[in-house]
Formats: sequence, C-alpha cells, structure tokens
Amino acid sequence: MDLDYLQMLMGEEEVVVEEEGEGYRNIWVVAERVGDELAPVTLEMLNQAQQLASTLGAYVMAVLVGGDETLAQELIYHGADKVFLFDDPALKDYALEPYIKALGDLFAEKMPEIVLCGATDVGGELAPRLARRLDAVALTNCTGLTLDASQRTLVCTMPVYDGEYSEVVAFSPEVHPQIVTVQPGAFGVPYRDEYRSAEVETVAVDLDGAQPRVKVLNVVAEAEREPVPLPKARIIVSAGRGMGDAEGFALVEQLAAALGGEVAGSRGAVDEGWIDEEKQVGMGGATVRPDLYIACGISGAIQHYFGIQDAKFVVAINRDENAPIFKVADVGIVADAKEVIPAIIEALEA
Amino acid sequence: MRIIVPIRQILDPRGFTVSRRHERIFVNRKEYIINPNDKNALEVALRIKDTGGAEVIAVAVGKPRVDDALREAMALGADAAYLLTDEALAQTDAAGAAKALAKAIEKIGDFDLIITGQETLDTGDAQLGPWLAEYFGIAQVTNVREATVSDGALRAKRDWGTGYAEVEAAPPVLLTVAPGANKPRYPHGGRIMAAYREWEVTTWGAEALGLDAADLEPLTEGRGRTFPPERTLGERLTGSPQDVAADLVQQLRLQHVIK
Repeated sequence: MDLDYLQMLMGEEEVVVEEEGEGYRNIWVVAERVGDELAPVTLEMLNQAQQLASTLGAYVMAVLVGGDETLAQELIYHGADKVFLFDDPALKDYALEPYIKALGDLFAEKMPEIVLCGATDVGGELAPRLARRLDAVALTNCTGLTLDASQRTLVCTMPVYDGEYSEVVAFSPEVHPQIVTVQPGAFGVPYRDEYRSAEVETVAVDLDGAQPRVKVLNVVAEAEREPVPLPKARIIVSAGRGMGDAEGFALVEQLAAALGGEVAGSRGAVDEGWIDEEKQVGMGGATVRPDLYIACGISGAIQHYFGIQDAKFVVAINRDENAPIFKVADVGIVADAKEVIPAIIEALEA
Repeated sequence: MRIIVPIRQILDPRGFTVSRRHERIFVNRKEYIINPNDKNALEVALRIKDTGGAEVIAVAVGKPRVDDALREAMALGADAAYLLTDEALAQTDAAGAAKALAKAIEKIGDFDLIITGQETLDTGDAQLGPWLAEYFGIAQVTNVREATVSDGALRAKRDWGTGYAEVEAAPPVLLTVAPGANKPRYPHGGRIMAAYREWEVTTWGAEALGLDAADLEPLTEGRGRTFPPERTLGERLTGSPQDVAADLVQQLRLQHVIK
C-alpha cells in the first residue's frame, strides 16, 4: 500500500469554503506568533472556534499577520478552514499600526460575525482598536464562550475582582463583529490533524500611512527580568513566622529559586523584618493567584487565606497539625519546614 | 503638558464577601473606591507632573456619586475634574462610557497624554485605553510600568511578553498602566479640604457631549454570574523529610504544576 493511498483513506476532504453570502459571517481567529511558533492561545481559540462554528453553521477563518506557509499549515492542522496570510516581510515583527491596518482592512471587507483574539499583550491592544475601527465592541479577558443560538450572539464569561467570581455577558444582536479576547489556558489545545487540508490565501496590505508610531528602544527578555509582581507570579513560596529566624527564611528563598518562583511572606514574616511589606500576601498585602503556592511555617489566619484563595495549588508545611492553613491546602505536610525544604530542593534536583 | 486621566468608580471589594458555596455575593458595606488600576494611572500622571510640570485632569462617567472619586483624584493631585453624568450616562455600558469619555476629552481639548488603567476590577473590561487611542487616531503604549517626559518625548517602560520593553513616542500618546505598576500616593493633607469643600467638579450630561440616546444604547447585556468551585480538603503527606519531599515533587510533576 503506498502512502498516497493511505493518505486518501485517512485524509478528510479538503474543506471548500464558500465565500459567497450576505452579511456578517464566519468565526475569525487572529493568530499570534511567539518567536517562530504559534502562541498556544491561538490553537486554543481554534478549538473553541470549531465548536462554535458547528453550532452556527459557520467556517473558522484564521488570519496570520507576518507568518509563513508553515505556520499557516499548522493553523489548518489545528482546525482552521481557511487561512489568510499576510506574508509581507514588513509585517514580520509586531507593531501596532501596520497590524491594525492589515486586520482592519481585511475585516472591513470580509465582515466577520465573530472575531477571537488572545488576551495577550498583542491581542489585548489590537482587539479594542479593531472594535472601535469596525464600530463594534469588545469583551475582554474571557474564560468561557458559549452561544445564544436563538440570537446568534456570544455569551462570554469575564472574571471580575481578580477572579472572585465572573460576570456572564452577552453581545446585543445588532453588534457586528462580536470581538472577544480569550484568556490563555481557558480552552484546551485541539488535536493536531496533519491530514487536514484547506486553502491558504496570501493577502497584501497597503501600509502607506501605517508606520509604527512607537519606537522600541530596548527589549529585555525574561532572563534578566526584575522580580515578577506577586499578583502575576506563577509560583510563590511564602514564609511565615514558623520559619523561626533569618536562616529559616533563607531556606524559603532557596526553594523559590529552585522552583523559579517568587518569594513572599505573611504578616508575621514582615513583622520579623525578613521581607519587605510589598511582598506581603493576604489582607493588607497582595492578593495572588499563582499555579503553585507553598506556605512555609504559615499558620494561615483568615487574613492570609483571603490573599491566596485563588491559588490553583496550595502546599502547606507547618509543625502545628491544627494550623488553619491545612484546611485550604491541596497538600499538607506536618513537619518542620526547616527540615523538609532542603529535602524538597534535593528532590527537585534529582 | 496636559494629561487626561479617565477614572472609574467601583464597589469596594472590602465591603463584600463572595460565597462560593451559596454562589452569592454578600454586601456588608456599600462603599465605593477608585478602580485601583486607575489609581496607578493617576500616579503615573502625577509623577510626570511632579518632575516636569503638567496639568492633570480627571474624567469619569457614571452616577452622581462618582463625584466622590473625582474629588479624591483632586485631593491626590489632579488639577481639574469632569463628571459625565445624567440618566442615560449612568446606565450605559463600556462602549457608551468610552464614547462619552472620548467626547469629553475632545471638548476639553489640547491634550498631550491620556493615561488610564489597563483594566477595571469590577467588570473585567480592558478595552477603554486602546479604544480611545483608536478614536483619536493616536499612538498607544499598553501595560506601562513607568513613564517620563523629557524634551517633549514620552519614554515608557512596559511589560512585554515574559520581559519588558523600553519605548519612546511623541505625544499625543495614550498609555494604559499595568495593574500594580506603582504604589499610589496618599491624598495631600492640604488638598483634601479644598477638594471636597472648595474646588468645582464640572458636570456634563449627554447633550452637552453631543450624544443622544442611540449613542448610549448598551451593546452588551448581563446574563448573571458564575462562581469558582469551592475548595476541597487536600491530603496529608507523612514520613521522613526525604519521603514527603519525594512525594510532593512527584505530585507537583503529575499535576503539571512544575516541570
């Protein structure tokens, strides 16, 4: 059996997108690149767009500004029914004015029903400008997207008050296009189907009068970055009075460094003078929502809990087995943090 | 240099508790504050004023009670304040508020910078800044941490991907300030009395802004709320420090919390 025959058996038929039709139509995903790859949120949006499209009887169109054919194919493998590719070398690096011109012109012509952008640095500044340019409105930082099928409107979940709860907001039926920014991680990455095939249309844009207005003097990548502000930190290792002394606190710093996370402290750690007030978590300090929060020698009074209740995964290490922190921890370790932390650092390095 | 700072008044989260179990919000005290991120924006504006001199103007849309937020902005250092309020303006949504602010800024005129917060805590909306920049067709720098003006040029340090970038632009420019970018100052003692007793807040209604009912028609509608799931009690690890450490690291890797 030759490969062509196998491909014929397994391959779906090429999606033929019918572009005829009146009014606003199809779901458009604004693809985003990070270096030479697609941003994960782009693939996640394709996944969600496919589900919405099947309900609406619409196609999923992807638009890729400044990418290449390889990335365009990746968009198709992940669910795009057609890709519009701006391959002008002038668009290789992101700059607001040329990008907004390219997208604005394309959307003014194609009249999308729905536009999805990532709730990223780039998507976050493009989407509202597109909304204004196209006389629409954007709903931002959405973590959930469903359809009100009777009105063909998107119903968006928008976390408020740092994720304390979410507001559910729908577009009015007369709004077109319905533009949303989608939070990274809100949806799963779709299955990559290499047998999927669809058209890539190369498009051009007249960049006259769309020169970048902001000059980038200097970009500092992650490696040299200053400490991440606590509310944005992904991993936080936090010390409480239970660390005993400055030596104990130094262990917490070492654990944070081993995990690539940030150091923080409870009110107690601030009072002991081990850490600055800016690094205090809880009431009177920062509210954090990291993927991982390790509380070392923190009893976990309610004031502290208020600051960490949205952490995705909480580890508590405390000698006192009745410490309230254990009630909110996903994993609790009843032990002296000073003995356990060196062991954890060792286990991480193993 | 004229700097316009749109601010928003929100319900103070310290006055309510969210019950995940009951999927309800229990309001204990209905008090209002300036959206904390807008305070960061005002602080950026006031620091520019401190170093090179500037006229800082605060503008807000909403109910008559928003007057308080504007007076607080003046106590903090704003030179003038405009409240956009009437029945239609009090009930409009993010798009309507953006239109009202745009018209007011136009009416105030001659601005060099517009500085606003990146997002509002109570609605999750992060569209105002770039929306205004598009309205005026001006440059924008989002997610700003610090900004200075010298020799007529604006320089800003902004979050960019996993790092940051330093950028430069010629005014007029719109800046959105990253949440928590700075520690806002406290109101100046001498200004507090004057801000609440003497100084005027200029009030404009929709008509004064040249907006009619159709312009302020909400483009979105609320469909209720959702709440995160309740926390469940976790497990305890026991054994020697080496054992629990190995268990923990294994769990964290299994749950993809760490690599």
